[in-house]
Amino acid sequence: MNVLKNCQGVTRRRCLQLGLGTALGAGFADLLRLRSEAASPVAGGRVVAKSCILIWLDGGPTHYETFDPKPAAPTEIRGEFFPIDTAVPGAQFSEHMRQLAKMADKLAIIRSIRHEQGNHGAGNHYMMTGAPPRIPVGCGAFVSFHPSYGSVTAHHRGHQNGLPAYFSMPSMTRSGGPNFLGAQFAPFVVPNDPNSSSFRVRDVALPSGLDGERFDHRRDLRSLVDQLPRFEERAAGDPVLALDEYYQQGYNLIASEDAQLAFDIHAEKDEVRERYGRNSFGQRALLARRLVEAGVPFITLNEGGWDHHRDLFSTCKKRLPEVDNTVATLISDLEERGMLDETLVVVLGEFGRTPKINKDAGRDHWSNAMSVLMAGGRTPGGTIVGATDPQGYSAVDRVLSPENFASTIYSKLGIDPDSVLYSAQGRPAHLVSDPTPIAELMG
Amino acid sequence: MTATSFLQRALLLAALIFVLNCQRSSGGDPIDFERDVQPVLTRFGCNSGPCHGKQRGQNGFQLSLRGFDSDFDYAALTHEALSRRVVLTRPEQSLLLKKATGELPHGGGVRLEPGGAEVALLKEWILQGAARAVPGTPGLERIEVNPKAYRFLDETTQELKVTAHYADGSTRDVTSLAAFQSSESAVVGVDESGTVKPGGVIGEAAVVARYQGKFAIFEAAVPLPGEVDDAYYQQLPRSNFIDELVWNGLERLELKASEPAPEHKFLRRAYIDIIGRMPTSAEARAYLDDTSPSKREYLVDHLLNSPEYAEHWANKWADLLRPNPYRVGIKTTLNYDLWIRESFRKNKPYDQFVYELITAQGSTFRDGNVTLYRDRRSPDELTTIVSQLFLGIRLECAKCHHHPNEVFGQEDFYQFAAYFAKVGRKGTGLSPPISGSEEFVFASDKGEVRHPLTDEVLEPKPLFGEARTAEPNEDLRVPLAEWMTSKENPFFAQTMANRIWADLMGRGLVEPVDDLRATNPAVNAPLLTALGQEFSEQGYDIKKLIRRIVLSDAYALSSVPNERNVVDTRSYSRRYRQRLRAEVLLDSIARITGVPESFSAMPPESEARELWTHRISSLFLDAYGRPDPNQDPPCERMEEPTVVQTLHLMNSEQLFQKVTSDKGQAKELAASERPPAELVEEMYLSIYSRRPSPEELQTAIKLFENEGADRRRLTEDFMWALMNTPEFVFKD
Repeated sequence: MNVLKNCQGVTRRRCLQLGLGTALGAGFADLLRLRSEAASPVAGGRVVAKSCILIWLDGGPTHYETFDPKPAAPTEIRGEFFPIDTAVPGAQFSEHMRQLAKMADKLAIIRSIRHEQGNHGAGNHYMMTGAPPRIPVGCGAFVSFHPSYGSVTAHHRGHQNGLPAYFSMPSMTRSGGPNFLGAQFAPFVVPNDPNSSSFRVRDVALPSGLDGERFDHRRDLRSLVDQLPRFEERAAGDPVLALDEYYQQGYNLIASEDAQLAFDIHAEKDEVRERYGRNSFGQRALLARRLVEAGVPFITLNEGGWDHHRDLFSTCKKRLPEVDNTVATLISDLEERGMLDETLVVVLGEFGRTPKINKDAGRDHWSNAMSVLMAGGRTPGGTIVGATDPQGYSAVDRVLSPENFASTIYSKLGIDPDSVLYSAQGRPAHLVSDPTPIAELMG
Repeated sequence: MTATSFLQRALLLAALIFVLNCQRSSGGDPIDFERDVQPVLTRFGCNSGPCHGKQRGQNGFQLSLRGFDSDFDYAALTHEALSRRVVLTRPEQSLLLKKATGELPHGGGVRLEPGGAEVALLKEWILQGAARAVPGTPGLERIEVNPKAYRFLDETTQELKVTAHYADGSTRDVTSLAAFQSSESAVVGVDESGTVKPGGVIGEAAVVARYQGKFAIFEAAVPLPGEVDDAYYQQLPRSNFIDELVWNGLERLELKASEPAPEHKFLRRAYIDIIGRMPTSAEARAYLDDTSPSKREYLVDHLLNSPEYAEHWANKWADLLRPNPYRVGIKTTLNYDLWIRESFRKNKPYDQFVYELITAQGSTFRDGNVTLYRDRRSPDELTTIVSQLFLGIRLECAKCHHHPNEVFGQEDFYQFAAYFAKVGRKGTGLSPPISGSEEFVFASDKGEVRHPLTDEVLEPKPLFGEARTAEPNEDLRVPLAEWMTSKENPFFAQTMANRIWADLMGRGLVEPVDDLRATNPAVNAPLLTALGQEFSEQGYDIKKLIRRIVLSDAYALSSVPNERNVVDTRSYSRRYRQRLRAEVLLDSIARITGVPESFSAMPPESEARELWTHRISSLFLDAYGRPDPNQDPPCERMEEPTVVQTLHLMNSEQLFQKVTSDKGQAKELAASERPPAELVEEMYLSIYSRRPSPEELQTAIKLFENEGADRRRLTEDFMWALMNTPEFVFKD
């Protein structure tokens, strides 16, 4: 039987037994937290982040209108928005990043990642996996040549508490898949809108109309009609044994009211839900926090609509304040709950946008410059890494690659970016070809 | 001269030279870069994939992967890094030595012992002037491993000896410089020195010995301890040649076959394998009650002639060929899908199917097969997919480096690619994410493929054997397609035969199914050969091969192991359980519950196996796995169960609705006047393809007769429960 072990060498089944054995007394989420503390991933004697929430602004968010304003640039580059001061002396954000500006001392902004993949398919792949696409790919492409951060993390940590280790909401990002690691490390996609009153996390809650009593009845019936013989000898390699294990995990998940609570966004106080923003994105961020509490190591929020080839300013006026509010709330909330040190929050897209505003009042793809936000996971607050030139054309100071970025994420999660993974065919692949994390962010 | 004595001599020489503080030319055996130095770099992993052999090298120092490019490596050592790697004037200062021995910090650790023979050899080479080649050094022709085969009857180990044969007829023992790898380390393991040891699993495996781009193979068999009487194998049934060869394989390993499976299991397997769904209750009842002795033949023919056959098998091929519609366009993808389906509906011979694909020309709006050339645009992309899909030869590695386990190098790759040099395209190319325009593919007279290193224009050449040269103005792809589909090309028939065998038997004779090479031998080579021959002799008729396999006794064995085969997971001594394909499960669920699935971009009541693209959203299909159109090339499907699948079957809203639907089968059954026994039998037949046992029936009837039992609810729950067991989810 293929019993995966987590990094501490404890089998998943045993984890679950440990967890549920005592879950009756303590709150499940508390207990999960306790247990994951006991099993804190440690790399080189340093406690590292247990979870990562990666917020992907799909399309390539503008660096000018977010974290890298260029007030001294000519009008056709500068744009309509004004810079504002932040909590970090000397550092300015664009005017709609108001709340994040106030808490800039808790954030790190990287202004100097650049690469050569200026279309969505390739840029997504590079920033989502840390590996450039192996062959030229088209703009609309959804490609995968290398496992994504989330899949690698799931592969490294294994299932946590019987829960999928990698969630993606409301859909998978273009290159967010497992590639050669295999389907069991694909993201668990939750397409439903947590802002809806009927929201539930699919499949981990009972379907509507099915009560607990009936569920129990069906469970009894199932064991009655399940008469297929199992071949217990290990050498026989009976795949049914793995299925049995998964059913047990599934039952445990359903049976635990506390576990269910972790997915139940309706259990949050209204004021908390308001604070995150009563929109799909805000509520997904809140759900991500609950999943982190339940021990899920990697959650991607795939937030579309950041490809502003036209009407950039009117769109950003509406959307930036929402993102500003939700991300700021998420970071503050994590901090208030004492979870920020162990939770890495990252906000990025595939690239930045062109300096010159085009005829449609938009900006086009531009991979010579971009801005990435990082907070938590012991990232030193108030850090601005690198700089672009005064007109924002290109990263010029402390130029960094997507590989450096990927290595930073992995290092923070306790995964050695210099490790070698093997495909099913035995082909070796370096996790990150340049395994150097960004030192300023490592704390 | 053995390697040891050779190295000892080199060491002595080196020592002598040092003592005398002698001049450059030592007068000792001249040391040749390719023959003497490179093997050391290979043996100690310096040029391996994770170290300096990787694409961008390591820490600024790059060697060709496993030393396939001697000129490159020589330049890297002697010319780059300000010649600090090899210092002719002060050999001991060479980074090559200081790093490898750990005298200077080295990311790869200490690779060579400071006082060892290898260090002495390298030092001597530098001392002699670090020549690229010693004039007159004979080239390496081949290597040989001895013994060539061994049957591990007990826990013994086997030492391998590797001999290099040079052009001048001389030989050299290179065991200590060779690298070894087992094709199945669970069967036999091999250590660095070439000692082979059984790994605890019964079976056959190959150990590859590699030295300087050559390899040789040692065949190992690890039979089950104890002996089985010959008479046992003779009395096993033999429906056709397959059985003979499978039983021979069992005999080699002293394994016994499981009992024949019960009739209902054969029924279920045949339906699932041939048409991709479970039998309905009526179909199951009719078959099980049929008393004709030839009912199996009749069933198999009936299924092969059903239109459902084509949908199921075309779906498998679509997995392999289907492009991403965002890339090539929706109409193009749809046309390709139609072309594939039409081929299976007509039972187009497989050689013709491949011939038409390879030589495709026309419009992407009219000719589905042209999509191959819209999707794969450069000769090298076409080379990789064509060789892997149809010949089971993976050339992807050879594109950039000589494959360590293959006979093919870059030259072979680009010569093969030259067949696709003159594929012409007109019209609108790719313009994702819509790519909606029409494109024409035709045989052009322009285009060439050049060797990436030498820049030489290459003439087309097949990977092995002979192909005729194209006539003037003839499409180069025609001789290619003729060569590929020729009866003299065993790879062509065997690759497809292996795919079909893997689909039907749960495991390929070769795994991965499209990786046929000497260093990855089939578990039963005679069987693979015979299947390929049969396929070719029967005119590449896919149905005929399926029929042959399904009607063999080996196909109909039970999955229940016995004492003498419980350890077997690869010799087909018993049935290996397989989790069902996503489409098979979903289509079966729709029939069982009486509620069809609804798909976007498809007509109403369409089935999962009829989908024309994997981009049509379905949580169920995603959970149970389908090729990821985002991945390039699309990966094989994963077969193992996951917790996500379990949760989906257990809790999905959609399945719950199907089971409890007012228009569903559960409601209809419950609302009927039929007695509980009939209801129960009906559900067992439609979900398990069998009748309940008397005990199962009694237990179920009691539930229905319980006071207060809600007949509809119980029927629904019963149906749900049956569909949530492994007996439903697995092909057993």
